[in-house]
Amino acid sequence: MIATIVHTDELLQTILASVVAGIGVTSAFSVAIWGAGQFVELSRSDRPVAAGAAALVGVLALASVAGALIVGIIVMTNN
Amino acid sequence: MDSDVILVIVIATALAFDFTNGFHDTANVVATSISTGAARPQVAIGFAALLNFVGAFISISVAATVAKDVVDAEVITPTIVFAGLIGAIAWNLITWWFGLPSSSSHALIGGVVGSAVAAVGFDAVIAEGVIGKVLIPAVVAPVLAFLVAGIAIGISYRVVGKQRPGIVTRGYRYGQIVSGGLLALAHGTNDAQKTMGIITLALIANGTLGADADPPFWVIASAATAIALGTYSGGWRIIKTTGTRIIKMDAAQGFSAQGAGAAVILASTHFGFPLSTTHVINGGVMGSGAAKRLSAVRWGVAGNIFVAWLLTLPAAAAIGGLTYGFTRIFGTGALGPILVTLMALSLIAAAFVRRAARGAPVEAAGA
Repeated sequence: MIATIVHTDELLQTILASVVAGIGVTSAFSVAIWGAGQFVELSRSDRPVAAGAAALVGVLALASVAGALIVGIIVMTNN
Repeated sequence: MDSDVILVIVIATALAFDFTNGFHDTANVVATSISTGAARPQVAIGFAALLNFVGAFISISVAATVAKDVVDAEVITPTIVFAGLIGAIAWNLITWWFGLPSSSSHALIGGVVGSAVAAVGFDAVIAEGVIGKVLIPAVVAPVLAFLVAGIAIGISYRVVGKQRPGIVTRGYRYGQIVSGGLLALAHGTNDAQKTMGIITLALIANGTLGADADPPFWVIASAATAIALGTYSGGWRIIKTTGTRIIKMDAAQGFSAQGAGAAVILASTHFGFPLSTTHVINGGVMGSGAAKRLSAVRWGVAGNIFVAWLLTLPAAAAIGGLTYGFTRIFGTGALGPILVTLMALSLIAAAFVRRAARGAPVEAAGA
C-alpha cells in the first residue's frame, strides 16, 4: 500500500539520475576548467607535452559533459 | 451553451495562470546567472523565455499527472477547475506582491484540490496521486537539489581550487550559459505542463475529450507561449530575493546550483512529478552556499521563503474553495465565473496601477 502511494521505483530512479547528472556533469565541467587552467600554466612554463596532456583531459571532460547533455535530452524527448 | 462559455473562461484563466507562473517563477531560473555576472538581465530573461517555450514541447508526463492523478475527472466540472485556478492566481499575485518565491505549482494543485473539496467533498481528491506524485516529491526534490548542489560544489572547489581565479570564473560563467539554459528548459517542461494538464482536465470535465486523452497540440502550443510571454514580462522582485538575498554566489556556485536544479527537475519530469521548480532552484542555491560556508546562507530570508512554501497549499486551497462557493451563489451557469473573472481583473488592474504609481517595483539584482 505504502509502496503504491510512494512510487518508490520512480522516486529512486529520479534520485539516482539527479545525483549522477547533477554531480557528474558539474565535476566533469570542473575537470574541463582544470584542464584549461593547467594548459595555460604549463604552456607559460614551456612544458608543451604536459600542457598538451592537460588540454586533452580538459577536452575529454568537456566532451563527456556534452555527451551527458545530449543523452539527457534524448531520454526526455523519447518519454 | 453555459458549459462552453465556462470552458472558454477556464482556458483563458489557465493561460493567464501560465503567464503569471512565468512572471512569478521563471525569474528564479535566471537569478543565479544574473547575480554571478554570467549574463545581463535582459539577455538572461530573453534566453529563458525562449527555452521555456521549447521546453514545453519535450514531455507530457506531468500534464498527464495533473489531468488524471490529482482529482477525479469524472466528478469535476469546468467551474471547479476555474475556481481552483483563481485560488492559484490569487496566491501567486499575493506572494509576488510581497516578493516571496513561493510555489506556483503547489498553488495550482492546492487551488484545484480546495475547490474540488468545496464542491464535491474529499471523495473528489485522488489521495494516492496527491501524496505520491505531489507531496512526497515536493519534500524530496528540494532536499535532493540541496545535497546534489552541495556535493557538486565541494568537488568543484577541490578540482579547481589551485587554479588562477580569472580562468575559473570565466569558465564557470561560460558554463552558466548552458546550465542556465538547461534550467530554463527544465522549468518550461515541468511548469507549462501543469497548465496543459489543467486545460486537459477542463476539456475532459466538459466532455470535449475522452477520460484518457492526452493534451491536444493547440493546448501544448498555447501553454508554451503563455509561460514564455510571462517569463519575458517580469519578475524583478523575485530575482532579487533568489539571486542575492539567499546567498552571495560565485560563478562556480551558480553553475552547480543550476546544474543540480536542472538535473532534479528534468529527472522528475521524466516520471511525471509536478514539482515546484521554485523549491528545487532555491534548494540548489542554498546547497551551493551552505557547502562553502553555512553562514553564507541568509537563513532568515530562507526561513521566510520556507513559511511561504508551507502556506501555499492550504492558502490556495482556501481561496479556491471560497471562489467555488462564491460562484455557486449565482447558480451553476456561467454568471458566477464571469463575475469572478471581472472582479479578479479589476483587482489585478488596481494592483498594477498602484504599483505603477509608486514607480518601478525593484531594480534587477545585476542592474
